[in-house]
Amino acid sequence: MAALSYYVSVLAIFACIYSIITLGLNVQWGFAGILNFGVYAFVAIGAYTYALLTLGKPIPGASQTYILGLHLPFLVGLLAAGAVGGAVAWALGAVALRRLRSDYLAITTIAFSQILWLIAGNETWLANGWDGVSGIPQPFNGLLKLSFNDYNFFFLALSLVLLALVVWLAQVMLRTPFGRILRGVREDEVVVESFGRNVSSLKLRAFVIGAVLASVGGAMLAAYVGAFNPSAFLAGETFFVWAALLIGGSGNNWGAILGAVLVPVVFTEGTRFLPNIPSNPQLIEAFRYVIIGLLLILTLKFRSQGILPERPDRFERGAKRGARPSSTPIPSDDAGEPPHA
Amino acid sequence: MSILLLSVGFGLITASVIAIAGVGLSLQFGVTNFVNFAYGDFMTLGMYLTLVLGTAFGLSVYAALPLVVVLTGLAGVLMNRLALDSFVRRGANPIILLITTIGVSLIIQSGLLAIWGAQFQKFSLGPSQPLHLGPFIFTPRQLTVLGLAVVAMLAIHVLLRYTRLGKAMRAMSDRRTLARVVGINTTWLTDWTWFISTAMAGLAGVVLAINTASFTPSTGFGFLLVIFAAVIVGGIGKPYGAMLGALIIGVITSVAASYMDSAYKDAIAFGFLILVLLVRPQGIFASRGRG
Repeated sequence: MAALSYYVSVLAIFACIYSIITLGLNVQWGFAGILNFGVYAFVAIGAYTYALLTLGKPIPGASQTYILGLHLPFLVGLLAAGAVGGAVAWALGAVALRRLRSDYLAITTIAFSQILWLIAGNETWLANGWDGVSGIPQPFNGLLKLSFNDYNFFFLALSLVLLALVVWLAQVMLRTPFGRILRGVREDEVVVESFGRNVSSLKLRAFVIGAVLASVGGAMLAAYVGAFNPSAFLAGETFFVWAALLIGGSGNNWGAILGAVLVPVVFTEGTRFLPNIPSNPQLIEAFRYVIIGLLLILTLKFRSQGILPERPDRFERGAKRGARPSSTPIPSDDAGEPPHA
Repeated sequence: MSILLLSVGFGLITASVIAIAGVGLSLQFGVTNFVNFAYGDFMTLGMYLTLVLGTAFGLSVYAALPLVVVLTGLAGVLMNRLALDSFVRRGANPIILLITTIGVSLIIQSGLLAIWGAQFQKFSLGPSQPLHLGPFIFTPRQLTVLGLAVVAMLAIHVLLRYTRLGKAMRAMSDRRTLARVVGINTTWLTDWTWFISTAMAGLAGVVLAINTASFTPSTGFGFLLVIFAAVIVGGIGKPYGAMLGALIIGVITSVAASYMDSAYKDAIAFGFLILVLLVRPQGIFASRGRG
């Protein structure tokens, strides 16, 4: 019984962390229509920032080398992770968001992510290279000194509080004028611009907010697992978050959370106890990805808004009973003509 | 000096692989107007198909090549028919199509992983003695790669200039609506475009595996950004631009790799890609008006 409740609490913690990351992407894509394929670059920035600030000084001659090691408390590490992620997003977005069409932005963010990955792996002095950093201290356990099992529930409570905060923020964003104008940008940038709003600054703000959430999620991941290395942020991880958001329902915060619970947690963990095939240990895992790819395509095809579609605004609901607004939550930048006419 | 020339030589070989892949990707983008993120995985598919034909029928890499090219081409048509076509008919946003290709990429990559696992695979190609050609040193294998690239480029040139299909492709990428209005059969055109595009991917994949000797299910996906770099430098949707872009990216990365840490070879290409996107997103060779 204890084993089962422990197992469920582990799943719940991962569900919280993935939800925070997916909500970040929801702000970028679901609200503002920004095609960010570098989600895990920001998760990694958050995780590494947190690790380097909370770890103690590296011991000379020990197995890992890294910079900083300031031994700062959890909250400082978490806030710094968000701040650094936000600052990097601001710098990247300030140049990239203003000029690029969606598909070029996607390629730029994925290239940025790959460059970061190469640096994290090759510069061993920075954060221990391909082996990554480990031994990241568990938040508050120096004070609490809880048992293995109890600490897990404590961390779950911590994650839930943080997730509640993020959900509250995202829900508020949906209802404020800022959230509405972002959806306007998503549907038609030109219209928003003609009302005298600065579209690129609006998109930049959404990009930064989403990146801060991804970084905070990354910090929580590093804090819980206690380790982080470059293999944790391959391009595939980003597409996982995308699959979660699109299957769950982009534009709807509850959809993002549902997707984060379904795709990485239920799917990954639900198949964990299937028997492994000795000749090919990756078979089950690989098969899982095949199913997720299929699910993604089928969702787009038959339920293009995801399981929990975006809720129409109140005034729209009043005005057109039953009639849904244009169903694709996507900026239309195709005029049927080739690019750069 | 000789190091510079040597690395330019290696750059030419890398450029050959990128050129084959880039022309195929660019051709498809020009006609269908969305980015295919599964393109690299069709390259990987080509590598594993060669492996299968080798073990099942004892075909050598070169004997299997024509068959592999046709099969990957058909796989591309199949992807279009099964996954993409209904979105296009519905008039879906190109971004939805792009995300769909990511789903396809996940399926191909993980499908190969499920069957073969993540370990490195190799073609059985005997030893290859290096030859000195002026300042360059090439192995016969590398010369084969170069030769295949030249033949493929000539074939694409003939296709685009002298055939009805090629002219229709150029018309479609030039002015989509006008091409439809004059009665180009779009089903016929998109099927052939996907066939040629992914057949080129298959060829590029085999050639890449001949050049680098080993591969895993993620090799093609890893190569995708390098192809994007070449295609965007040359101006996306423009096959001739992609050839030049391939030359530039191939030579730049090889030369840079011989003067700095070669682990950053790809980072150079990605950095160059971002730079070009920010400074000249229409590609550095874009001519006035519609190129």
